[in-house]
Parts: sequence; C-alpha cells; structure tokens
Amino acid sequence: MRTMNQRFTKAALGAVAILSAALPASAFFGDDESEQDPDVYLAIVGGDIYTGTGEILRGATMLSKNGKIDEIGYDLYLPEGTEEVDAHGLRVYPGLVALKATSRLTQGTFAPGLKLHEFVPEVDHPDICGDCGKSFEEIVPSAVDPGEYSTEHLATDGFKSDFDESFDPFSGYMVMALGNGITTVQQSSTAVKLKRGEVDGVSLSEKTMTSMSWSGSNPSGKADLREKFRDAARYQDELRRWEEVVKKDKEAKEPSKKGIDSRVLAILQGATLAKFSSNDRDDLLGIARLAQKYHFRPVIEGCVEGWCVADELGRASAYAIINPRVRRDRQENLTHDNGSSIENAAILTRAGVQVAITPGNTSIDMGGISGRDLLSLPLEAGFAIRGGLDERTALEGITVIPARLLGIDHRVGSLEIGKDCDALITDGDLLHYQTFVQYTVVEGKLVYDKQEEIFYKNIRPRPEPDVAATDPGEAPAEGASEEAAASEETPEVEAPSEDAVEEVVEVEDETVED
Amino acid sequence: MKMRKLLFGLAGALALAAPSIAATSTPELFALKVGRAETATGESIEHAVILIENGKIVTIGQDLEIERGIPVIDRSDLVVTPGFVNCYSRAGLSSSGASGTQPSVQASTELYPRQELFGDLLKAGVTTLGLYPPGNGIPGQAVAISTAGTTLEDMILKEGAYLKILMASNSSSRKMLDGAFEKVEKYNETVEKAREKWEKSVEDWDKEHKQRKKDEKDGKELKPEDPKPGDFVAPEPDAVAGPFIKVLDGELPVLFSIRKAGDYLHLLKGIGEREFNWSLRVPLRNDIDLFKVADQIGEKELRVVMEPRLTLMEWTMRERNIPDELTRAGAHVAFIPNGDDLDNMKKWRLHVGHLVKRGMDADAALAAMTLEPARELGLDDRLGSLEVGKDANLLFFDGDPFQPSTKLVSVMSGGNFVGDEELR
Amino acid sequence: MTLARLMTRLAGASIPTALAVLGLGGVASAAFVPAGDLAEAPLDDVYGGVRPIRIEQAAFESTPLAIRCGRLLTMSGERAIFDPGMLLISKGRIEYVGAPIEVPDGYQLVDREEAWVAPGFVDLHSHIQTGGWGDINDMVMPTNAQFSTRSTIVPSNASMRRAMAAGVTTQLGIPGSGTSISGFGVLYKSKAKATYENIVLQDPGGMKVAQTHNPERGAGDLGATRAGLSWLLEEINDRAVDARDSGRFDPALENLVRIQARELPVLIHCAGNDGVAGTVRMWKGRYDTRCVVSHGSFDGWYAADYVASMGVPVNHGPRTYNFTLGIREGRIVNTTQAYIDAGVPDFSLNTDAPVIPAEELFLQGTVSAHLGSDPYQMMQALTLGPARSFGIDAHVGSLEVGKDADVVIWSGDPLDPRSHVEVVVVDGDIQYQASHDGQWF
Repeated sequence: MRTMNQRFTKAALGAVAILSAALPASAFFGDDESEQDPDVYLAIVGGDIYTGTGEILRGATMLSKNGKIDEIGYDLYLPEGTEEVDAHGLRVYPGLVALKATSRLTQGTFAPGLKLHEFVPEVDHPDICGDCGKSFEEIVPSAVDPGEYSTEHLATDGFKSDFDESFDPFSGYMVMALGNGITTVQQSSTAVKLKRGEVDGVSLSEKTMTSMSWSGSNPSGKADLREKFRDAARYQDELRRWEEVVKKDKEAKEPSKKGIDSRVLAILQGATLAKFSSNDRDDLLGIARLAQKYHFRPVIEGCVEGWCVADELGRASAYAIINPRVRRDRQENLTHDNGSSIENAAILTRAGVQVAITPGNTSIDMGGISGRDLLSLPLEAGFAIRGGLDERTALEGITVIPARLLGIDHRVGSLEIGKDCDALITDGDLLHYQTFVQYTVVEGKLVYDKQEEIFYKNIRPRPEPDVAATDPGEAPAEGASEEAAASEETPEVEAPSEDAVEEVVEVEDETVED
Repeated sequence: MKMRKLLFGLAGALALAAPSIAATSTPELFALKVGRAETATGESIEHAVILIENGKIVTIGQDLEIERGIPVIDRSDLVVTPGFVNCYSRAGLSSSGASGTQPSVQASTELYPRQELFGDLLKAGVTTLGLYPPGNGIPGQAVAISTAGTTLEDMILKEGAYLKILMASNSSSRKMLDGAFEKVEKYNETVEKAREKWEKSVEDWDKEHKQRKKDEKDGKELKPEDPKPGDFVAPEPDAVAGPFIKVLDGELPVLFSIRKAGDYLHLLKGIGEREFNWSLRVPLRNDIDLFKVADQIGEKELRVVMEPRLTLMEWTMRERNIPDELTRAGAHVAFIPNGDDLDNMKKWRLHVGHLVKRGMDADAALAAMTLEPARELGLDDRLGSLEVGKDANLLFFDGDPFQPSTKLVSVMSGGNFVGDEELR
Repeated sequence: MTLARLMTRLAGASIPTALAVLGLGGVASAAFVPAGDLAEAPLDDVYGGVRPIRIEQAAFESTPLAIRCGRLLTMSGERAIFDPGMLLISKGRIEYVGAPIEVPDGYQLVDREEAWVAPGFVDLHSHIQTGGWGDINDMVMPTNAQFSTRSTIVPSNASMRRAMAAGVTTQLGIPGSGTSISGFGVLYKSKAKATYENIVLQDPGGMKVAQTHNPERGAGDLGATRAGLSWLLEEINDRAVDARDSGRFDPALENLVRIQARELPVLIHCAGNDGVAGTVRMWKGRYDTRCVVSHGSFDGWYAADYVASMGVPVNHGPRTYNFTLGIREGRIVNTTQAYIDAGVPDFSLNTDAPVIPAEELFLQGTVSAHLGSDPYQMMQALTLGPARSFGIDAHVGSLEVGKDADVVIWSGDPLDPRSHVEVVVVDGDIQYQASHDGQWF
C-alpha cells in the first residue's frame, strides 16, 4: 500500500497517466483542452455534505476539477480517471481556517529562524513593502475604487509572497494540522494553504489587516488616531467632490494628500481592515464609536469584555477574534459588567458581530496536554456553543469568518461550486469530541488519510470497508450515486459504548437559509 | 565484461604517468594477480589479473595468462578495489568563507601541496579528493586533486570540477540563483548588441569601401581609409556570468547543497526550464525528511552526495536507510565520510559497510565510494573503477573491504605502491 | 426566594451566629459529637479526619430537594443509569436514587426533563485553594510532613467558585512539588459562599509527596539527584515507622506516623517510567502505605503493569497522552487508556489546577475519550475513581443513598464541551443555578 508521502506526490501523476491512457480529453471537453494538461478530478462519494451555507446534502457526492469544486449533488457523472474517496457513512465539512497559527506549520521543524517581512507596521516603521519595494502609496492607488487594490495585491490566484519561497511542504506539523481538520492558516500576515507536498500557489492573500492601537493607557495615541481618521475622511470627501468638479472645470486643484495617513486612508477605502488588539470595555466602546463615526468595520482581537458592549460593536458591524475560554476575573468594585464571559461569542453574535474563534494556544503542543492548542479548533468552537452560540455560527467561526478576515472567503470557508475543494471527511459530528478526521482533501488532492499517518492510526482504527460499499478502485458507476441518493436517513454515528453521548439535535435540519 | 585474452606488452595507454611519493616503485609494466577485483562497475572478478603499464590499467580479466617476461606481483590472497574518491571535502584547506555570489572563486587557490595530511589520506585509501571553496551562497568552484603528489601540478587533476551552490527554502536563495542566470541573459544581450554593432560597422565599412573603389575609378579624391574591422570579439563575461555560461553550456556541473525535502521542490522551481548538469549534496542528520522525495530524485536519476549514515524518521525511532532508498529509487549515491577529518576517512569504509549490512547493495555502496564521486568530479574517464584505460589507483584488502576485521594492506597510486611496504 | 436559599444565605452570613443559635461555642465543632459534649471534644476530633459542621448545618437548614432528570448517571458500582431518573435529597444527603417516583410533600422539585445528572467531580490534585499561584510551596526544608494547606485556603476565591460552577465539587487542595514532602492537603467542597468550616470534608486530607521531576534542586547539596531525594524520603519514613512501632510520640513525625499507620492516604507527584516505578516500589513495596501515583506523565505508562500488580491507583494528568517526550513510540499514545488497560485500580484524572483551570476537569475526560477511551470510564475517573482511591467514597463520588448530596445537573453529556452546568448542589444545598446566577462557565 502506498504511503501518504508517495501518494500525494503521485496522485496527480497517476490521474494524468490514467487519463492519458483513456480516451483523449477532447472527446469529452472539446479540442481546446487537449492542448493543455489533462484535467484532474477527485470525487468525495456518498457522504453527508455539510456545506457551511446552511445546506446539508445527505449521501451526496462532491466533484472537484483541478482543485475547484465543480459539482455537488446526486447522480454525478464522474469522468474516467477520477480519484474517489469513499465517504459512505461519513460526513463532509469545509476545511478549517486557523488564524494566527504557529509558523511551524509551514516552516517545519528544520526551519531556520526565518523572519518574514511585516508589511503592516507599527506607527514608526517605514511603509515599504519588503517584497516588491513599492511604497504603500504606490500599492494603494489614490483612485476611489478600492477594488483596484484588492485585485492587485490581495486574494487572487497566482498571488506571490515570501511564504511561497520558504514553504516547507513536508512539515510534520502540517500533517498534524491536516489530521485535525485545518486546511488554511494565517502565517504572520499571510494566508497560506496547507498544500502538502507542493510549493506552488500556497499563499492566498497577504496583509489584509492593518494593526492599529487604541488603548486607554495611551490617550494621546487615541487622539492622534482620531485626528488621522478625521483628516482622511475629510480628504476622501474632498476627493469625491473634486472628481465631480473636475469634469467641468479642468483647472480645479486636486486636494492634497499631504499629511494624510495612507494606512488610515486604505481602511476608509475598504482596502484593508483595521485590527485592534483590545480587551477592555472602555477601549472597545471607543473603537466601536470611532468605527461608527467613520464607517469602517473594525476587527477586534481579544475582545474579552466585548459582551459588555456588544450592541455598540454590533452597530459598528465589527468582527471579533476571540478565544471562548479566556479568563479574566470580574472586578467586584465596578458596577457595570466586566471580566470574561463564556457567553461572549454568543452575545456578540446576537448583536451582529461576526465572531472568529481561536484557541488559547495557536501553536501545536506535543507535550501531552491536550485540548488547548491549535489542534483543538473544533473543541474551541464547542466552548462557544457552551456559551450559547448556535452550532452553525460556531462552525462559521472556524471556517468562513476567519476566511473573510483574510480576504479569501471567495476561495475557502464553505463547500460551494467554484471554491477550492478543501474538505474534511469525518466519522461523525465535527463538533463532537469522539469524532476523527478520516480524510482531508486540499485543492482536490487527498493529502491526509488517518490510517496512513503515524499519529492516530492505532486509535480506533478504521474498520475494513464493507464488501457492499463502492470499491474506490472501480470506475464510477451511476448505480453508486443512486444508492447514496436513496438513503435519506442519518447515517449512524459510531457509538463506542452504550452510555455514549446522545446525538445532539441538529440545528441545521432547517431549510436552506441565508 | 569477461575478457579472456592473452596479454601482450603495450596497449596504447594514455601518455600521462602519475608520479608517486612512494618509497617503492614498480616496473613500468607489470602484472598483478589478486584473489578478487571489485571493479566498481558492478562486476566482481575472481582470480583477476591486471596488467598495468605506465601507471594505467591496460588489461583486466579473470585467470588471464601472463606473457613470459612480465614481472608478476602475486597476491592471490587479497581483494582489490579502486582507490576511494572523496568528492566533497575541505581537507588541508583552512580559509573561512564569506557569504555571497562568487562563482569564479577556485578552491585550487587555497591548495598547499606538501601536507602530511594528504599522505595520511592516501595511506588510508583516499586517492582522490574533491575540494570545495568555503562560504555560503555561491562560494565557487571545486578542484579535484590526487593525494599522491608533491607539487600543485602533480596534484591538481581538474580545476572547476563543479560549482557549489547552497540553496535554502527562502526568497534570498531564489533571488541569488535567479540573479546569476539573469547575468547570463544580460551578458548575452550585451554580446548581441555588440555583435549588431560590429555587423553594422562591417556593413558600413563595406559600403564605404565600395564607394571608395567607385571614387577611385572616378578619379575622385580619396580620404584615408579606415582599417577593416577585425573579426568579432565578444566582450568578456564578468565573474558571475562567466561560470554560469559554462554551466548552461554543460561544461561546469553544479552541486546544489540542500538540507531537506522541501528545499528540493523549491530548487526545482528555481531551476525551472533550464537544462544543465546538476547533482545534490544533502548532509544527513538525524530526522531528515529527504526520503519523502526519494522517488522524485530517483526518477531524475540524480546523483546525491551524502554521508553513509542511518537516520530516524521524525518523531519516531524508525530507522531510515536513505542512501539505500535513494539507490533503489534510481538515484546515484556518492558517499563522503561521516566527518571531514582523517579519522573519519579511515573509518569511512566501515561506516559504508554498516549501511550494507542494513540493506544497501554492496556493489552500489562500493561504486558510491569510487565511481560515482569520480563522475561527480567529471573524472570518470580516468578514475573510479578498475577498467581499461584508467589510472592504476588500487586498494589492497585482506578480505571484504566492508568488514571491520578486514585490513587495508596496501595502496597503489598511479601504478606505484604507497608507503614502505613492497608487495611481492 | 425559596426557603432553602434563605437558609443558605443565613448560614453563609454568619456561622458564629448560627452556632450561637445552636448554643455552641465559637470553635468549629465536630458533626458526630453531640452538641453538648463539644467543649470537651479533643482537638484531634476537630481536625483529625472527622467530618465537621457542614453536614450538621445542612441538617438544620436545607429544604429537601427532589431532582428529576432525563438521564441520571449514578456512577455507582453497578453502573446504574436511569433514563429518566430521580434523586431525593434531604439533610445534606441522598435519600433516594432511581427511576422517577412521586415527589413527597415538602420537597422542592427541580425538574429538568432533558438534563443529565451526575455526581460532583472529585479533583485530587489541585492548588487553587490559595486563589492564585502563591502560598503553594514553602521550600526551606526538603521534607515538611507537618505542614498543612489549611491556613492557605482562601475560601470562596474566584477559581473555586468557577470550579464549582463547572461541576467540580470536591477537591484536594495540596501544596506544590518544590520539595520532597511539601505537607498535607485539605479535602474540601467547592461552594458559592465558602468558609473553612462549611467546606472542609477531611482535614488532614492526605499527604503530598513529590518523588521526582521537580524537587531536584540541582544545588549540589542533598536532594540534587534521585539518590539524594530517595534517601530524604526513606530516612524520614523509617523514623516514622520506628515511632509508629515503638509507640513513641514525636510531634515532628506525628502526621507521617498516620501515613505509616495507613490512617491517611498519600498522593505522590511522579513521572516517567523510572519515577513511577520507583514511587510504587518505595511507598507500596517498602512502606505499604495508602498511596496514589499522581501525574505519571511522559513514559510513566511503561510502568503501568507494575503499578497495577502492586494495586496502586493512578491519578493521571494534566498530561494525558504521550508522543515525543521520554520515549518515541512513533504514535500518539493515550496514556490514560494505557493505565486503564493495565488494570490499575480506581483510575482518576486531575487538572493540577491552575496548570489546567480547575473548571476544565471534565475536559481531561473529554480529550482522553477523543483518543479512544470509553466515555463512561472517563466519568468514573472524575467521580468514583478518585473518591475510592482516597478513601472518601463513603461520602462522595457517586449518587447513592447515604452519601453526600453533591449533585450536578448538566444540559447534556458532561464530557461534551458544548454542554454546560445548569445547577450545582453541594451538601444538599443549591450552590449555583445558571439561569439565576448567570453562566459562570
């Protein structure tokens, strides 16, 4: 049996070989295709697909073409040479997105102490992009349409970054993360896909958030920032007015950008998000009000006392990056709400804040203490649910919301046609503590198989497949999809003992909603 | 190849005779009878007879009859192998290197010939060395030397044996490599421009010359004629472009030094579509994950220079015999000793023997100490195996060279014995 | 406001007042000593492993409770689970356990149809009694068998209350592992409004020893190596054995004699294959004490068979798996399961709070269940396992008639982080209600 290592480096070659041995691609797809490399297909067959959009398709099939989700449904036609992953009796979820993750994931254990250029500086660093040498001003055009910025430097295919060159595609930590459901991670200020065994196209976006500081312990800093926003907002107004005026009067003078903080301007233009690391109630209130006044959406990392001022944060349409289990003792001498609350995520969500969930330790702990590090992302979401958050939003908190913060939600975070095929195939409810990730697919390639890696293969080993189930080696038959479609009941979750957990009533059993 | 021929005198060997520092010299033409000859080509010859003339092997075969009059050295109790070749070493060199792109640096400039170390190495069986320049980045070009020599001339077998480049997974490595190739492109552009300019100047001169002839005929006054432009002379490439031009022309092979499997993939990206000779140097430490790309390296049939060391798979006590895995995948392993010092070079064959015990093919292992490193140095036309036409660098063992109980009894370099012992 | 709550508040407000009402003196009194004899009760009875006033109080003040729930995990030996189930509680103790019956008059009904009910958890390795990281280690002498944590207890500190709100109702508050013998810990209940008197279950609770993996001072003096550490322990224990056998009273050895007389248990912090085996060899093999291996981390599980053969319980945590430390098996080893498979008696889990927050004791069971352990056995490791290993199972650890009424009502599976605690009852009194007090965890 091939090892994982060989498998994923050979999968593409294998598919190519099979495809080229079959009918020429042009027979199916038209003559243009036969000039290029043949298409690579992978199908996840017969699983309960939790798309992350509110839709659940039971016993369905998902087909990926060249790494993108091509089709999700029943009775799919699977082209010859499609690699199949048998998901009968299993569930399919979108791959998880981990913020602030340890660099060991993509730099491996042998990484030299690589210090990547931090483009988004603190106040006193020069605004020069270490990668391309351009100044911030050059990258963020003064044009009104921020879309120009985003297509240039953010979130597009073929995006280039320092991480591309230093990526270790064989990092053991990466395999551990994949085995626990994580497929995209934030490394420093770059969004990186955990493409095992490959070095191309791993960086997805960069520097989508600008760090700002707002703290009660630095009142002059706050005043300074307020002023910058005011000036930038004023400049924006003047610019817009000038653009109207200049159509008639060519001589009209363009408003000067002198003294305008370019980062703040970028935030107002929607080119980047403003990120504040803030926990104190008063600071959060101040940020919320600043955001409401200047119409930008703040990202608040930490947000421990967010629940105390949730409504204001909601009005600012803020994002929060929180750890549900963070503890801060309540100060009894204060009359208003303060301290931490397990209900933080739930309360913020109800007020309209989008909550991304991170664990207390964003590294991978191999010392023996379990349940508190990056590998326990689903568990962390479970704690948000403990505090009253609904299950669907909790899952969004570890998939599509962090993707949004990284500017890559058009590619990852949910299972939808056109998005990257990053999927987890689990043997039960992802949020249940006994569930294991059995397979992980990243961009249409099977990169993790629980039984092929040293970590968990001895723990509740996968039983041999039934004779009745579809043999993954066979050519896809119409019959298989029909069978899958026919079975409408919930597949049985493995119950290790009679006293095992009751299945939690599924919140998502509703009709498709927004 | 089985040769069953009668031997007669001269066989038209190459002119150069390797000089010796040995106390004992041998006749110009003589025959060796040994118990077994491990040729390092995969062939093992029992009761081998080797005819050596002017320091070169002229014939080798099993149980050959020797013509009367040719002196015979009969040691049918011994096993001979080719002299060991250590293609990647800094033995006897002492300068430290900087970091940067200096591909024109030659390691030979550091070489100081009369060192006891080289004699010791020779006695330990290392008849050829490949010395590389120090430093990071692109430190320069290696030199291949014979350890049996007293002058630079005697020792240096080939300058510019390979160009060493250290590649890591980061953008500065990539930029370094890209930058070097860009210089070649720029140089080519410069040459193009210069050529265009020259062509234009030739064209202009021709025109003028024709006009002049015409004027002459017409009897017009003649201006002094400019001399005809000579042949086109391309501008000299600079210190970076020069070596890399040779690389792209196939004259200068490259040795890329990498440290892990990921580096290999980044290296492939860096090389891109360019085609040239290159091999890998990978220091084998501890948990190295190189086995993850063994298939890919094997498919390309690359040469990998490495220590004869067993490693462990990350996080486990599972042993990996990476040299064996690479060999089975189709790659060519060239061994170097575990450490760049005399002690390690003496124990080198024992360390390799350990790997053989752990599954590596013995023939491949021997070739990894002889023929493959010779190929790495571009000297396989004259070294590295017991084949006709090659230098008579032989090692005499009283048994299987990979067994710890076996002793290295004698060393022959260029047909002459090294040291005091004279075999009869 | 119910009568029970009113009573609880009064009790919390002023114990001396209550005592005055009862006609008792200012000193905390022993429960089993008739009120009138209290003044003459020897101090021994007050501090020496006899249950003090909290149950007596409860007897007078609490309203009887009836709890009806969807799933009742009694954690008793017969694996009795009732779906649905009911508990009747009065005078601080459990009166009835079983299938739902008609609620008797005078009983306040707590009716939670969907909820799970389980006994309060028992954490034998916890340092949160001081409220912070201080007051845990006194490191002048290497052996301090006469020290006790009773004076370091800060009752009702935030950690304790949060632990209670997460279902941890009994803890052994011990000193740290900076010295070979750091002293004795106090077994106490976690309550919303706590005083020493109304929380103590047993004082002294048990002795704390650090065999290896911390007390090595590396100062070049005695105790820098295992040899020195072992000698320190054996020397003092030998003297205690001598005192025990000869009947000689030595105040410096008084507590240690009780250990050697098997009157009190000893909890031993140790780790690693050699550390665990050495611990068992000394404290069970040589001295035959009522010892419990605590931690047993890294490759300690290699000694699991030996520990099991010597009949020594293991209190495992905060590390519950091993991958690369100690020995490299090349796989993730569920060390919890390794000990259980070897057959160690009364296996239990701990947090070593605040290393892991005390309120996340349940999570230790969760993560081991994730790596393949049986969830029911994990619940046992949080309840009856620790109670039995420390000899307090007559009072806590399972919901059985006659035991203390330490009951926790969960919204679902206690091991599932998505569940939360709805109600906590300790000694028959409702200490916490999420719907009323807010969700503390």
